[in-house]
Amino acid sequence: MAPWALLAPALAVIAVLLFYPLGRVVWLSFRHYDLRSLVSGESEFVGFDNFAALLGDSYLWTIVLPNTVVFAVAAVGGTVVFGTLVALLLQSLRPLWRTIVISCVMVAWAMPAVTGTYVWRWIFDVDRGIVRETLQAVGMLGPDGFNWFTERLTFYAIVVLNIVHHGFPFVAVTVLAGLLTVPRELHEAARIDGANGWQRFWNVSFPTLLPIFAVVTILSTIWDFKVFAQVYLMPGGAGTNEEIFNFGVWAYVESFTTGNYGTGAAIAVLLTLMLLAITVAYLKALFREDDPR
Amino acid sequence: MSQVADRAPAVRAPARRRPSRRPAAAAAKGAAVAGVLFFTLFPAYFMLTSAVSGKVGSGFEALIPTAPTLANFTEVLTRGNFLTYLGNSLLVALITVLGSSLLALFAAVAVARFRFRFRTTVLIMILVIQMVPLEALVIPLFLQARELQLLNSLLGLSLVYIALSLPFAVWMLRGFVAAVPAEVEEAAYLDGASWGRMFWSVLLPLVAPGLVATSIFSFITAWNEFILALTFFNDTDKYTVAVGLRAFFGQNTTDWGLVMAGSTIITLPVMVFFLFVQRGLASGLVAGAVKG
Repeated sequence: MAPWALLAPALAVIAVLLFYPLGRVVWLSFRHYDLRSLVSGESEFVGFDNFAALLGDSYLWTIVLPNTVVFAVAAVGGTVVFGTLVALLLQSLRPLWRTIVISCVMVAWAMPAVTGTYVWRWIFDVDRGIVRETLQAVGMLGPDGFNWFTERLTFYAIVVLNIVHHGFPFVAVTVLAGLLTVPRELHEAARIDGANGWQRFWNVSFPTLLPIFAVVTILSTIWDFKVFAQVYLMPGGAGTNEEIFNFGVWAYVESFTTGNYGTGAAIAVLLTLMLLAITVAYLKALFREDDPR
Repeated sequence: MSQVADRAPAVRAPARRRPSRRPAAAAAKGAAVAGVLFFTLFPAYFMLTSAVSGKVGSGFEALIPTAPTLANFTEVLTRGNFLTYLGNSLLVALITVLGSSLLALFAAVAVARFRFRFRTTVLIMILVIQMVPLEALVIPLFLQARELQLLNSLLGLSLVYIALSLPFAVWMLRGFVAAVPAEVEEAAYLDGASWGRMFWSVLLPLVAPGLVATSIFSFITAWNEFILALTFFNDTDKYTVAVGLRAFFGQNTTDWGLVMAGSTIITLPVMVFFLFVQRGLASGLVAGAVKG
């Protein structure tokens, strides 16, 4: 009984504040629950109506799904590729420089999402931002400037920049730790066989580090699918520009701005299901070799 | 993992001493390092220089502050409720750290020291629950808090943050607890110590570094969280800093000097704590993940 007594407080908190709400959001997604329900506490069961309405709307397929999935693919790809390149660079540095560069890279990781997003907003500010002024100084932008935040593509390009900047340190430090465990003999042998740098990475390091790449890719995917503050805090992200919603922001705005808690819950359930599928892939990658000890 | 990373440079150092054969390659590497440093540091640098620039008219002006001033910081701290928000954030973060450290330590001892039925199930559940998006939890949690009259309550928010930071804290701490040899505990029992005495006098001091690391993570979770803090309060006196910063955005134009000064104040504690944990950070995440 001792282990359960020790586990009880933590499990109770997790059950009441994570599992019960999770069940309740599923329950809500099958009900018509609006502002009136909020006051009266009464709502009616509508079956799959919320989901049918969402999935039958082209808005989900042409706007929200691409905004979520294409963005996540770009952000994860950028984060993992750039992070790996930085890890290889760090590996080739002398210990002192390696420590210095790692410490600086940590600064990007330590930046909170809220303040980091504000800094990128200021850098790309439409009227006085440094990007506008630089582009105008070299003659690549006319005197009218350009609003990066209204176009879907440029909006998400800034979000990708923000996410890659914040996310690559995790990949770099993790992959570096893995690279340092690859036995040097393997590289020496490959070198003697005439392999160049790229071949040594692709044929020696990469296969050895495959589990690490699987973990950083899937963790980054989970994080990038549920990006919220980095979109919500951008101009138009809080509800005025429907072109740039992803699943998370859509669920939030539908619930708390429009007052359709049932529909919002259904959107949130769709997002959770996508994340569940990714998590199953994650667990398979984790436990392929051995059981958790 | 971290031991390997620590040792590796010393072993490899002699091989690195040989001079680079191609100066062009060395120059390319130097340029790559400079590029990485620029990309990673520029936003933080620009935040800081904008904050000390006074009223910034343009991005170029803020790049190199000619007359550095703390005026923006004074204005942020005296105007509006920013000090109250800072206090709220600090209070919420402290409750979260204390609550989640205590609960996580008990749970970590349970999964690291005992073999029992459903142990693997509990571990996997702890891992899986972390993927649930906050955007899904915020809707039912808002309704729940509303029914329990816990909206506008900093304690209510702290309770949710404890739940949010618990899974990761348990996952990390169990590694630290498992690293303490069981023989040390047995020696304490032989000396006549009860389980409680052993826990406080032997186990707790030995896992203290792990507790510091997980506490810092819980602190950062609570300090940075945005979506729940945004939703739980309509009473502006109760805002945390992450939400309160929105007050400095104007209707038409934004005083970026002010916003950047506020951002700097919010970012500094996180940066300091990150320096403390940076060693264990990646190795802990991956060791927990890869080794299971």
